[in-house]
Amino acid sequence: MANHSATHPKHVHHHFVDSNQQFESAKLGMWVFLVNEILFFGGLFCAYIVFRAWYPELFTQAALELNTFWGAVNTVVLIGSSLTVAMAIRSAQNNQKRGLEINLLITILLACVFLVIKYFEYEHKLHLGIAPGSFWNPTPEIAAVLDHPKANIFFGIYYMMTAVHGLHVIIGIVLMVWLYLRARKGHFNSEYYTPVEITGLYWHLVDLIWIFLFPLLYLIE
Amino acid sequence: MMSEHHGHHVASAKQLWGIGIALLILTVLTVTVAGLGLPSPFDILMAMTIALTKAFLVAAFFMGLYWDTKFNSMLLIGALAFFILMVSITLLDTLYRDDVVPSF
Amino acid sequence: MASLSKTENTAQITPKKLKVKRFVPLENPINTYLTDEKGIWAWLTTVDHKKIGLMYLGAVAFFFALAGFLAIALRTELWTPAKTFIEADTYNQLFTLHGAMMVFFVLVPSIPAALGNFILPMQLGAKDVAFPRLNLASFYIYAFGAIFTFLSLANNGFDTGWTFYTPYSSDTNSAGIIWVTLGVFILGFSSILTGTNFITTIHKLRAPGISWDRLPLNVWALYATSIIQVLATPVLAITILLLAMENILDIGIFDPALGGDPVLYQHFFWFYSHPAVYIMIVPGFGIISEVITTFSKKTIFGYWAIALSSLAIAFIGFLVWGHHMFTSGQSAVATTIFSFLTFLVGIPTGIKIFNWVATLYRGSISMKTPMLYVFIFIFLFSIGGFTGIMLGALSVDIHLHDTYYVVAHFHYVMMGGTLIALLAGLHYWWPKMTGKMYNEPLAKTAAIFIFIGFNVTFLPQFIMGAQGMPRRYYNYIDQFTPFHQTSTIGSYILAVGFLVILFYLVHSLIKGQKAGPNPWNSRGLEWQSNSPPDFHNFSHTPVVIHGPYDYHQPMEEFQLGLAVDHEYGDEQDKVAAEAHASSATETTEA
Ligand code: HEM
Ligand SMILES: [Cu+2]
Repeated sequence: MANHSATHPKHVHHHFVDSNQQFESAKLGMWVFLVNEILFFGGLFCAYIVFRAWYPELFTQAALELNTFWGAVNTVVLIGSSLTVAMAIRSAQNNQKRGLEINLLITILLACVFLVIKYFEYEHKLHLGIAPGSFWNPTPEIAAVLDHPKANIFFGIYYMMTAVHGLHVIIGIVLMVWLYLRARKGHFNSEYYTPVEITGLYWHLVDLIWIFLFPLLYLIE
Repeated sequence: MMSEHHGHHVASAKQLWGIGIALLILTVLTVTVAGLGLPSPFDILMAMTIALTKAFLVAAFFMGLYWDTKFNSMLLIGALAFFILMVSITLLDTLYRDDVVPSF
Repeated sequence: MASLSKTENTAQITPKKLKVKRFVPLENPINTYLTDEKGIWAWLTTVDHKKIGLMYLGAVAFFFALAGFLAIALRTELWTPAKTFIEADTYNQLFTLHGAMMVFFVLVPSIPAALGNFILPMQLGAKDVAFPRLNLASFYIYAFGAIFTFLSLANNGFDTGWTFYTPYSSDTNSAGIIWVTLGVFILGFSSILTGTNFITTIHKLRAPGISWDRLPLNVWALYATSIIQVLATPVLAITILLLAMENILDIGIFDPALGGDPVLYQHFFWFYSHPAVYIMIVPGFGIISEVITTFSKKTIFGYWAIALSSLAIAFIGFLVWGHHMFTSGQSAVATTIFSFLTFLVGIPTGIKIFNWVATLYRGSISMKTPMLYVFIFIFLFSIGGFTGIMLGALSVDIHLHDTYYVVAHFHYVMMGGTLIALLAGLHYWWPKMTGKMYNEPLAKTAAIFIFIGFNVTFLPQFIMGAQGMPRRYYNYIDQFTPFHQTSTIGSYILAVGFLVILFYLVHSLIKGQKAGPNPWNSRGLEWQSNSPPDFHNFSHTPVVIHGPYDYHQPMEEFQLGLAVDHEYGDEQDKVAAEAHASSATETTEA
């Protein structure tokens, strides 16, 4: 289309006046989307709260099956990845192509570590028959400790929360890989780094959710 | 209009690392406190206070709300407010039922 | 695409040499968004909000026809107390499909995604929505969700009612229920994307001079709607996901047999679905405000009252969901509080109605088709609203819950409200969208058919509901036969009305007279463009110096169309334009 003036930089879409308007719009759009995300997880947290209020003893009992150590490690891993994402944005703002690439790579790596740990946790539980819903079939030793009649409900919630969160981590990894490929082609600089910024916002939210999941699921004594 | 350029604040590396380390310390703290086995409402209160502090640090500095337009902060606070609304109204039902869950 | 419109210099403003010209839309535009790029492929891959709006309009019309057809089948089945021509199981599937399609495929996207998509950026003087590609994505996500629903039909279908209550929906061993819930899940994303897009557009893409107090009320309404979409839809998404997992894995959160709580499902569902009724009706309010001023040739009465009451409705709408659960076994405390809060919703809604009526007072009213629909709207929606208040009264609802009274109530608000508003908006903006006029006498005839048909269909349902006829029943006792038969006849009259509309709209597309840029002499910004508009909506960026309802001056002297070249380059130009817009106000409005 016409009406592209010489002053219109290439990355600015035709319907924006300037680069700044585009950047601010993208960021606002992302924040509105994060509102969505919060209420999306909010449903799960609500279910959690309702059932915890009903059966406090169930939660104390069931949380013992979760491994606090690995939960804490994963918390640290995610916090680290949040830091590297923030550093990645900083690199882009300072025109440091190498720094951007490296920070994105570390983020991807940490996200994968998170998933691997999560995988082993799942694996371990499923092995003990602590499975969701109708697959609930705990080994006798487990059943002896976990004798609450609604124990399966706790794990139903646990699996839903962590799986939905894990899904967000996977989506985050895909986005980061995409950013990395674009960063290598030199698409980002101090004038234009909108995708890095808004993916960063998304990633921090994933971290935020985990910051609450960790104490709510793992730290009930 | 420079005031519109909120989003382009460049955080210093020192700042970011500082926040990262603070988050780490808070994580260690929350695990330790949980190990103490405080009596019932206080354990959750403590855990949630620490989690909220961590969330605040991430939102304000990693997500840059501290330097950003107020409106983006309002969005985050609004989302939390509606979440709290949803939970509290639901609890009005679930906490006050005569017969908790139809049990089998 | 060089300058498409005549412009004449009127002012030079500092600090930059920014040309501000008087902008006059063309009578006979040659280049329009419709001629911009032709061919199916260009349409399917377009990111133009106008074309996407039309694609949505087509899809919504298609689903409306389909679901409407099912409704006729349902009403025909109810002609006799026993079996008339379809089996009981089929009947259950048909009413479920009818309800789910009308709500999720027609009413939720209808006004925002179809008309709103087209009109919103134009009312803001923007070239497009903030995220045009997401806008297109939202359309395809919608289509994708629709495919899932059809797949569900191929997999035994579903017959739970559009509310998918557990444990019925979790225990039904039908693959259909999984497909349709996933379909609704996907549809939710489309709705979320539209809402996100609109909020950002309204905040960031307003043309110079459009301050918050010059926002058209339609924009306010869409803003309130988008907020509801963003806050409520994700809860539907997670609910549906939990339901699907319930079905696939039996995770048990909603299933009493596994220790879960089915009433919790209802909380989650209505946390979305009550606000969702406002997703459906609030955009309708926006249209009514626009149409009523244009055809009363009078400034809207109570601008801020109408604008803010939309936001108030959006907020209070989140506090009342439990009025759908009065008989579900929720606690007495919750029930009482929900009943009280429900009454509050009536207040902002009433404020709107009063302001509209006050706008009519001493206006010079011209009874064109859109205005006729406004009157129909006010009449029908008021009945719907009042009966809603009655249902909100706890003791009354215990008697009326799950009867035809409720069916009549929500048809009065959803069809008598939203759909009639949609028709008002469609007729109002049709000349803008297509550049053609429609046959006015036929349009009025159709409106009258619809009005009569509607009342004949749904008034008897109030009476039989009050007498105890339950909803969703295949058979009924003889006593109700006359009511059911009247209702069935009414539905046929309705159908005729819609067929007439289909006929003259198609006719208008082919043979309609040229409409010209502003056939209604409206003062709204969208009418200061060509009809149909060009690709960028306005050939020049408008600089707005009036409120949207400035009917003080006669049309000849009215000039909304100040404009700067699109080529104005940067922030400074924008500031200059803003400055010009606000100084111009002082002179015109003082
Ligand atoms: C003054 C405002 C309104 C009030 C006080 C109100 C109140 C109610 C109440 C109390 C019920 C539950 C009846 C029952 O199931 O026993 C109900 C049902 C319903 N209302 Fe409204 N309503 C209002 C406006 C609307 C609007 C604007 C819409 C849609 C555009 C709407 C759509 C519905 C629907 C779809 C149902 C039935 C849901 C179902 O069970 O399938 N209502 N309303
Ligand atoms: Cu309701």
